Amino acid sequence: MIRGGVRRAFRLALRRRDRWEREVEDEIKLHLALRVEQLIAQGQNADDAYAEAIRRFGPLSQSRARLLAAARHREHQMQRTEFLSDLRQDVAFAFRTLRRQKGWTAVTVLTLALGIGATTAVFSVVSSLLLHAVPYPSPDRVMLVEQQPGMGNNTGIRVSMNPPPAVVRAWRAGSHTFDTLEPYRRSTVSLRTDADPAEISASWILPSFAAFAGERPIRGRLFSAAEMENHARVALVSEGLWRTRYGADDATLGRTMTLNDSTYTIIGVMPAALRLPSAGWDPSDVWLPLDIQNNRVGLHVVGRLRAGATTVAAARELDTLSAHSGVAADGQSIFQTNVISPAERIGFRDSLLMLTAAVALVLLVACANVAHLMLARAATRHRELAIRAALGAGRVRIFRQLATESLLLTFAGAAAGVLFGWLGLRAMVALRPSQLVELSVAHLDRTTLVVTVLLAVASGLAFSVIGGMQSSRHSTNEALKAGSLATSHARGQDRLRSLLVISEMALSAMLIVGATLLIRSIINMQRSDRGFNPKGLYAITPQLPVKRFPTTAARTEFFQALSTRLRAVGRVRDVALSAVAPGSRSFSVGTLEIEGEPSAVGANPTAFIDVNSVEPRWFAMMGVRLVEGSTFTDTSKTNSQVIVNAAFARKHWSPGQALGHRLRVVYQGNGDWNTIVGVAADASPAGQNSSAPMFYQPLVDPGPGTAVMVRADAGGDLVTPVRALIHSMDPQMASPSIESTETLLSRALAGPRFTMLLLGAFTLLALVLAGVGLYGVMAYSVAQRTREIGIRMALGASQGSIARIVIVRGVVLAAIGAIVGLAGAYWTTRLIVTMLYRVAPLDAASFAAGAATLLGAAMIACVVPTRRALAVDPITAIRAD
Amino acid sequence: MTRLPVLKGTLDLLVLRALNWTPMHGFEIVSWLERAGNGSLELEDSALYQAVYRLEERGLLQADWGVTENNRRARYYKITAAGRTHLRAETRNWMSYADTVTMILTAAQDATPPRAAT
Repeated sequence: MIRGGVRRAFRLALRRRDRWEREVEDEIKLHLALRVEQLIAQGQNADDAYAEAIRRFGPLSQSRARLLAAARHREHQMQRTEFLSDLRQDVAFAFRTLRRQKGWTAVTVLTLALGIGATTAVFSVVSSLLLHAVPYPSPDRVMLVEQQPGMGNNTGIRVSMNPPPAVVRAWRAGSHTFDTLEPYRRSTVSLRTDADPAEISASWILPSFAAFAGERPIRGRLFSAAEMENHARVALVSEGLWRTRYGADDATLGRTMTLNDSTYTIIGVMPAALRLPSAGWDPSDVWLPLDIQNNRVGLHVVGRLRAGATTVAAARELDTLSAHSGVAADGQSIFQTNVISPAERIGFRDSLLMLTAAVALVLLVACANVAHLMLARAATRHRELAIRAALGAGRVRIFRQLATESLLLTFAGAAAGVLFGWLGLRAMVALRPSQLVELSVAHLDRTTLVVTVLLAVASGLAFSVIGGMQSSRHSTNEALKAGSLATSHARGQDRLRSLLVISEMALSAMLIVGATLLIRSIINMQRSDRGFNPKGLYAITPQLPVKRFPTTAARTEFFQALSTRLRAVGRVRDVALSAVAPGSRSFSVGTLEIEGEPSAVGANPTAFIDVNSVEPRWFAMMGVRLVEGSTFTDTSKTNSQVIVNAAFARKHWSPGQALGHRLRVVYQGNGDWNTIVGVAADASPAGQNSSAPMFYQPLVDPGPGTAVMVRADAGGDLVTPVRALIHSMDPQMASPSIESTETLLSRALAGPRFTMLLLGAFTLLALVLAGVGLYGVMAYSVAQRTREIGIRMALGASQGSIARIVIVRGVVLAAIGAIVGLAGAYWTTRLIVTMLYRVAPLDAASFAAGAATLLGAAMIACVVPTRRALAVDPITAIRAD
Repeated sequence: MTRLPVLKGTLDLLVLRALNWTPMHGFEIVSWLERAGNGSLELEDSALYQAVYRLEERGLLQADWGVTENNRRARYYKITAAGRTHLRAETRNWMSYADTVTMILTAAQDATPPRAAT
């Protein structure tokens, strides 16, 4: 029988629970028996002796319970001590082993770290932006409510309308699918102070919005019912404004502030955490009471669905309610209600989803690589493990040893991965293009981190243990015999590793194709002819307060005066007004009719027709060529001239036939005919598709947001003199936005370029990892075939033929991977078609680039193994083992 | 003769002392304590086993199954190296404590305050 101490020393099976329970019972029994014998020997009779024995032992059932408890405690304690000492031993041993193989360890840790880091960074962004798009309670039920033209939309861009207050009132009164519906409005207002006037962002809300968002004022109070009723001029300032402008002074409450010429009393401070449901907006500086009875402006609406209500049912209900709200005379609303999750409104959504998929592929490649590295190592430790098994180490002990080692490794990888992830996220936030404001709120996500690390740990653990167990299971005898590595199991493992490398190659190929497509798109975007000259072009958008410029005449006068004075500024060569600046689009809503063409039956009565209103000189000034006809010769309403773009003319007439035709936009039965006097070249100020049909009309009523386009000579700052000029013309006017079209265009490219940069980085990462994987397989196979190579050399094989053996194998693996990967790309590139610009998703050049890059990487990965094969000394190789 | 209750903590010390000479099973330890203490210690037998388990848990004792002279299976307890060290240290502590207490109790009769024992 093996004594307990020996048992523990050799880590053999531990006592089981029923065993120590029985031991306690036995011990008590023996004790009582011995005591009875002793007492009888002293002359007592048997019955008395037994009673006395129990008396001395203590109350039997209680004592037994106490002893059992003490024994249980003892067993647990001893097991724990034993476990910890084993663990310490395993960890120390693992450290030693890993230190001995520095290169291998570094590659494995780095692989893990890169995989974990990239995934964590991207998934953190996804989690912050898409999964936690709004910071409100029960976020999964929070929905945005919008309307869109009932007949759908033909513009290719998202069009949503803010429902009119009457409709919102009907919804709030009648909805059963929503728990709450909160209307809000947002705008920039000028905060007027003597010292430092500023443009701040204001939000108009109902007092119930705060509760909806799960917040409440940190100082003061919300609007009262009476204040809402009486349209009282009261305001809550944001925590940010309160701290920066009011020095976080409690005396701020009760003070007044002047916003857009009106005086408001400050009644409270809203927490910084309170925000409107769109992540892209600047935080609100001031919160004002929303007048829901005022029918002039449309409202944004956010709501919380009743538990169990679907978005479809909710949209249908709201449609019914709006049809009977009295807004649409015929009870048939021409607008359709959309109930959508705020996550769908994240601007970067498509790119994010694509990057998520890409980074998931990278993680797969990394996991495959780790698996592969673990298997490779297990193969080299074949003999070590066999020796340990022969010396009596149980499978559990070997398992524990391997597990400890791979856990140590993966923890190191995970720690470095967290660091990489954090750095990656910081880098993404820092490099983000300015229109991806949402990105700034992204932070490292704990759930993501845990899941990613677990995944990496699981893959490392699984493969190290599978590999190790395979090795140790294998006949100990055979393993210990020299030169018996090429067993059937080694071949099996070889196959598994080849398979892993092929999948890494395939995943990389998919990424390369995707990245190439994006790069080509961006090159196309940069090279595309915009049809106008962006050089030195600026768009100035003054903010005319409607109150002080209520009439067309007043606005026209201001813009004319501004144009005149701008022309006098040194560098300015020309000035022209247009309804919208490049980068924006404006539309006429209605049905487009062409004289002489039958109007389409059932045509969309609320189609969006691209139109821009411009001054006659605009074409010359912008550099937009007039292909036919001339610019407007008469801008009066009675004459009604229009100019169409080339795409418009192509769509409706044969070349040269457009001039003189008449067109009109009919909305609710009304619309005047306009005569085409010119055809302009296609111009794409937004940096997007320039071949969409559109037309221009004379600018007769400059709106408050009219853009003043300025062409200036190079050199010097234009912003400061223009700001000063406008300030001198109207000191109360907020400072205008002045944007360089060149900047605007490069910014339009910034989003795609950012996506491309990330995808490129991930692709490179995957490619490097796959290359490392291939290198591993090749190096291993060369090591295994040393003797074979030696024999071939001895028999006179040329250097070339030896190199061919190695390279052919590597290239075959890569080629299989490339074929699988390109097939995968064939199915997946269609998913990113919306991100492509003038590149087909099955672009042959991109696919060829994918294959070529992969094969190139494979060749590089084969260099070292090939050299090693060539360096084999036939004599040593044949003699060895 | 009055029976003395065993002071808290001293039972462990007594058990270690008992085993210092030779490994014993539970009843042998009890008998040894009864003999060595002239039967003047008041102690339930089960309390001894609790003490033994506790000492085993702390690694001061080690248990192995063995056979008594009458061929009965019994759990034999043996003092470990750690147990010996512990016994030495605790014995020293106990002695000096007992000396001090004794000295104070006897010196209290005198007029002069006792000198501190170090």
